[in-house]
Amino acid sequence: MNPLLDQFITEGRDILQTIGERLLQLEDTPDDSALMGELFRLVHTLKGNSGLFDLPEMTRVLHAAEDLMDAVRDGRRPFDRPVADRLLEAMDFVLALIDEIGDSAESAPPNTARHANDALELANALRSLLAAAQATTPTATETEPAPSPTPAAIPFESLPSRIQQELAQRLEAGEPLCWLTYEPEEECFFKGEDPFHQVLQLGEPYWRRVSSREDWAPLDELDAYRCILRFEAILNTPAEALHEHFRYIPEQVQIVPLQPPAPSIAPAPSSEPPPDAETAWSFNVVLEAQREILGLTDNPPWLSGRLRAVATTLEAAFASIGQAVDRDALQQALHSADASQSSQPLLHWLDEQQRLGDTQLPAAAPPPTTATAARPEAPEAEEPIKFGRRAEDRLAGHTLKVDQVKIDRLMNLIGEMVVTKNALPYLANRAEEVFGTRELAREIKAQYGIINRIAEEMQDAIMQIRMMPVSFVLQRFPRLVRDTARRLGKEVRLVMEGESTEADKNIIEALADPLVHIVRNSLDHGLESPAERRASGKPSEGRLTISARQESDRVVIEISDDGRGIDPERIRRKAYERGLIGEPELERLTDQEAINLVFAAGFSTAEQVSDLSGRGVGMDVVRNAIACVNGTVELHSQLGQGTRLQLSLPLSMAVTNVMIIESAGQRFGVPMDTVAETVRVARNDIRTIKRRLTTVLRGRLVPLVTLNDLLGLTIEQAPNGDDEFAVLVVRIGPDPLGIIVDDCRETIDIILKPLTGILAGLGGYAGSALLGDGSVLLVLNPRELL
Amino acid sequence: MKRILVIDDAATVRLYHRSILEELGFEVSEAVNGLEALERVAEGDFDLYLVDINMPKLDGYGFLRELRGKDMPQAPAIMVSTEAGANDQKLAFLSGANLYIVKPVRPERLASHVLTLLGMTSNGRGAPS
Repeated sequence: MNPLLDQFITEGRDILQTIGERLLQLEDTPDDSALMGELFRLVHTLKGNSGLFDLPEMTRVLHAAEDLMDAVRDGRRPFDRPVADRLLEAMDFVLALIDEIGDSAESAPPNTARHANDALELANALRSLLAAAQATTPTATETEPAPSPTPAAIPFESLPSRIQQELAQRLEAGEPLCWLTYEPEEECFFKGEDPFHQVLQLGEPYWRRVSSREDWAPLDELDAYRCILRFEAILNTPAEALHEHFRYIPEQVQIVPLQPPAPSIAPAPSSEPPPDAETAWSFNVVLEAQREILGLTDNPPWLSGRLRAVATTLEAAFASIGQAVDRDALQQALHSADASQSSQPLLHWLDEQQRLGDTQLPAAAPPPTTATAARPEAPEAEEPIKFGRRAEDRLAGHTLKVDQVKIDRLMNLIGEMVVTKNALPYLANRAEEVFGTRELAREIKAQYGIINRIAEEMQDAIMQIRMMPVSFVLQRFPRLVRDTARRLGKEVRLVMEGESTEADKNIIEALADPLVHIVRNSLDHGLESPAERRASGKPSEGRLTISARQESDRVVIEISDDGRGIDPERIRRKAYERGLIGEPELERLTDQEAINLVFAAGFSTAEQVSDLSGRGVGMDVVRNAIACVNGTVELHSQLGQGTRLQLSLPLSMAVTNVMIIESAGQRFGVPMDTVAETVRVARNDIRTIKRRLTTVLRGRLVPLVTLNDLLGLTIEQAPNGDDEFAVLVVRIGPDPLGIIVDDCRETIDIILKPLTGILAGLGGYAGSALLGDGSVLLVLNPRELL
Repeated sequence: MKRILVIDDAATVRLYHRSILEELGFEVSEAVNGLEALERVAEGDFDLYLVDINMPKLDGYGFLRELRGKDMPQAPAIMVSTEAGANDQKLAFLSGANLYIVKPVRPERLASHVLTLLGMTSNGRGAPS
């Protein structure tokens, strides 16, 4: 993809992000003029950027949005809900286009013409808000007619070069030519106007062009009764006559008497090589501009600098067409202009210079070679083009934006490094045991220590790069909550806390979907309608809090609302009706246990499935998604008071620390974050209570299971020589549980790869990892096993 | 080598201008707003300024007024606007711009103006390929 387009996409996304945030902020503080100004500038910048590419749909929508924001900024239109809605909608559309462009691998933006209808609709919707504003303030329309093209806006450059040259000649000959731009209003056909007739009535023009003011809509969408034509003409008619002709619609026309151009750009005799059209055009424009600047009558403190800049510019401009300049005279003129605080001396100098140029011109248009030799700068410009960033050190900003893919690659590499270095201890063992070189074994171990330390530091550094703030996923919620609450007819205030809490990119990304689901659930089922809330003595506006914080090596996200809470009785009943629990459990389950039933697969308490949260996805999906990144979900609810969901996730997940255990002659890994401790329990200390194996650990009853049972193996667990069993105490849920294994070994860092293909269905395994000696380690998932 | 300072808050626009100007063989520096531009100016002279209007902190008008108020060699400045309003051009000239052009600028057109303002003959010209 081409770098400019790349830049456009990156910046575009950033800008859209900020626009979204500012719009929501502005809804809270609709009078914040600084915020409005910033919003306008952002939209304006984005429109400017889009204009660099052939993206008419995007530009059209942004242009309309910009006009609307401009009106809001000027106070012509209040910032209210419809404005926010339309603008948000428009920005969504632009984002979709940007995403589409970003997804295509082409070096040029893809054709987005099939969105033309949407663009048209959006732009019209935006403009209708604007029109409404103007209709309500009729005085504004009268006193501020639509900005019409100005002399500066006459698109001379779009004239054929032959016309441009002839035009100069005719003007010099003193023909009173006028430039006319006539933009009939869109509803003109309904007002009995006939724009074409109007133009034809003017007689034969010197030059004429008819174009459309905006892109034509697709044929089936085209509104033939909406006039979007622009007539432009150069006429040999006095301006007064033209004004008279258009006296009923003066606001739709722009009439500009054309001035004779600077004589020096009159085309040289055909025998001379004429300066190319661009040069002549540019020279003319620059000279006209300097004349206009010198014609200014203000007297600001920076006048001296302005005059000097004009002098520099004039000297350069004459040099550019190869016309000699009397520098001394120019300096003198500048000096007296500066002294008298007036532009007159410079204007005199300019007149004189142009008069001289007239007579000099044939000689001053020398053959190209002479000119090249005469201007030392010229060869410079012809030097071989050097690419690269000559001013790199001055590039704006100190933050480096790096493609995610590159960081992922670094992460994978360090992951492999961590695994590969684990081969060194094996090698050391082999050196000692197979080859009997203890010295070498020690050296290898020493080197391993160093490599291990560097690898860990490197890994840490890369992890730091990958850390991103939770706000990355939280930022979408103000909008989501606002839109959803509105659709549900609820009033909700969203409070977000600790958005700057950081966690690994993968964790943050894994949070996104579950969070959306939880928040929707809360809005849909948790928070009551304003009437219901008032009836139960609560403020009509519900409160939804999303908070994030770091707790040791985990990030904790809490989503709480002050809604109706979960009724454990209702859950019990539903669960029983759905066959999730039997009759005895109906009585026995505690309230908390009942509430936890919402995590059971296929549970949904909503009386009717709404299109928001009830997409057939239950809380079980949320729990599984969180569990996939080694996270846990806890649900607390107080009937009538609200619901609180707590997600606890590891800060990072790239490298997993596992303990290697042995059972039935095989090695398995167990993630260390589930292991509370390992103990040895003598056979005599294991009792059977209620047909379950149990032992007492520090005065506490701990139920035991054997790993072989869990894995469906019929082999007995093997004790050690002292008839003790190795027990892995895991903590899943509130109470500890012991898993009897044959032996507990060392802990190692591994890169956990999830099982794929048909193995992916094996829920008891978290995944597999490659060990340093090349063997594969299956890593157990105790949560699923138990 | 001629040095040009491109002042625009939009990174895309800066890149666009930079690529055109560098292809012509100029040395390009960037600033993201008027304040930063003034810092650049304090660090060294430029032969030309390309100035956006709407920018945070200090806009293009403000930058030019500050620049023209300085006792130093005054290089030409092009004000690059998104709007073609009579007032904008007037304001630009009042503030000290020497040329007012409207975005999006065609590469050949920008090149042409830049060469004119830097006093380079048509032989040194040529639209960037």
